[in-house]
Amino acid sequence: MSIKVRLHPYLRKFTDNEGVVDVSGHTVGECLNDLDSRYLGIKQQLVNKQGKLHNYYDVCVNLQCSYADPLSEQVHDGDELLIITVIAGG
Amino acid sequence: MVDERTLERYSRQIQIDGIGEEGQAQLKAACVAIAGVGGLGSVISIYLAAAGVGRIRIIDNDTVELSNLNRQILYNNPDIGKKKAEVAFEKLQLLNPDIKVEAYMETISGSNADAFFGDVDSIVDAMDNFPTRYVLNEIAIKKEIPLFHGAVRGFEGRVTTIIPGISPCLQCIFPRPPEPEKTPVVGVTPAVIGSIQATEVIKYVLRIGQLLLGRLLVYDGRSMEFMEVKLERHPDCQACKHIAKDRE
Repeated sequence: MSIKVRLHPYLRKFTDNEGVVDVSGHTVGECLNDLDSRYLGIKQQLVNKQGKLHNYYDVCVNLQCSYADPLSEQVHDGDELLIITVIAGG
Repeated sequence: MVDERTLERYSRQIQIDGIGEEGQAQLKAACVAIAGVGGLGSVISIYLAAAGVGRIRIIDNDTVELSNLNRQILYNNPDIGKKKAEVAFEKLQLLNPDIKVEAYMETISGSNADAFFGDVDSIVDAMDNFPTRYVLNEIAIKKEIPLFHGAVRGFEGRVTTIIPGISPCLQCIFPRPPEPEKTPVVGVTPAVIGSIQATEVIKYVLRIGQLLLGRLLVYDGRSMEFMEVKLERHPDCQACKHIAKDRE
């Protein structure tokens, strides 16, 4: 099961500046766990102590977004995740 | 009937296929409310005024500060300390005296949203915080008025267009608002995003092109990339599920 993750530029400091990395998992949450096992500390940036995605991040699956609970979203071999920030400035 | 002066002012855009004199008259008949005249609102209001949108309503209760001037292009040094809506009113009327600008120095809330937005054709979301953006979303849904959303941070921007009942609402797209912050931003970012919002408004008024419905445009100025993320309505969205059902 290979999933591609496109990282927000801010997160690339954890991945030696790699913008796209391969992970595995059956859900978005599992993919982030796998990401963290390779790039220690990255999950802490994305997920709060309650295990929920921080409000200033969102994860899109195959460029589809607006999931109520992104971490439990199912993923399949060949899927691509995009981690973006939720921004509010005007 | 478009007079000679109007023809000359808008001659470069009247030539465009899909605008013409008829489109120019549609722009003149339009009434657009712009919530916030900061970084985004400056750009949006200038371009809508220049394009000849006949009635532009601006609502903002802030005062011009020195730290605004890297991006809020409606304002200059002598404007520091003045009310943004007041200065915006003067500058927009100076730019185009043939349109009507209405300025309100008020803070937008659930209790006054009806008065500011209930009678307009389009609402432009140029706010800097999610609580007020949600207020705009609610009134847009209630009155079934299109909402043109834009947001910026640093070199990044997001834009989408919401037609209640047709495309996902703001609450569907962003159910989890980010924490408030003093947003870092470089002036060119609201220039890009505000221009896209204004483009969407103009297209909507003219009924031309394809709107950003169900599509979130994700802009990253650092890598100079535009990505498009598909959006879907949430069947359980507390803000719009009733109207979504009605339209099915």
